Amino acid sequence: MADVAAVDEVCKRLQSHKGVEGIIVINADGIAIRSTFDNEITVQYASLVSRFSVKARSVIKDLDDDNELKFLRLRSKKHEILIAPEFEKSKEYVLVIIQAPCCDF
Amino acid sequence: MSEIEATLTRVQNHKGVLGVVIVNNEGIILRSTLDDVNTKNYAELIPSLSNLAKNLVRDLDPQNDLEFLRIRSQKHEIMVAAREEFTLIVIQDPLVGFAQ
Repeated sequence: MADVAAVDEVCKRLQSHKGVEGIIVINADGIAIRSTFDNEITVQYASLVSRFSVKARSVIKDLDDDNELKFLRLRSKKHEILIAPEFEKSKEYVLVIIQAPCCDF
Repeated sequence: MSEIEATLTRVQNHKGVLGVVIVNNEGIILRSTLDDVNTKNYAELIPSLSNLAKNLVRDLDPQNDLEFLRIRSQKHEIMVAAREEFTLIVIQDPLVGFAQ
C-alpha cells in the first residue's frame, strides 16, 4: 500500500510541473493504474506504450547485452511523450508523461 | 550527396558524438562513422523501432507526426531523425553533450 502512495506522490508532483499535459502509470501487464486522461485515451496509450517500450528494451539489449534502456522521448509535432520504463523497477511500472514541447529545458 | 556529407561532418564533430549512421528507406547504409558490425546492427534495429514510434504517434492522433526519437540507455543516447528518404541515427554520450 505504501507503493501506491509513492506512485500518487510522484504523479501529483509531476502533474503540477509546467507544460505537463498528462500522466499515465502502466503496470507490468500493460494496464494503466493511474491516469489523468479519459479512459479511451488511457487504454490506447497503455497498450501502445507497453509494446513500444518492450521493443525498445530488446533493441538496446540486442545492440549491447551489457547495456540497459533508461528513458525514451518521442517528440512529435503537437507534444512530447516521455517514457520512463524503470519508474518503479520492483513493480515494473512504466511512467508516461505527455508534455507540451515548448517547455523543453 | 554533398548535403549528406555536410550534415555528417557537422554532427560527427559535435561534442560527445560517438557515431553517426545514415540509412535510406530501404535499409541500405548510406554513411557511417562506426565499424561494420555496429553499423549493420544499428541499421537493422533502429529504423524498425523508429517506425514503431512513428506508428504510435499516428495511432494516437492521425494528424500528429513523429519528429524525433531519443533512446537513452545506461551507456549512451541514441537519437533518431526519421524522414521519408532516410533515417539519421546519432549515438552520443549524454553527459558530454551538456554545457557545464
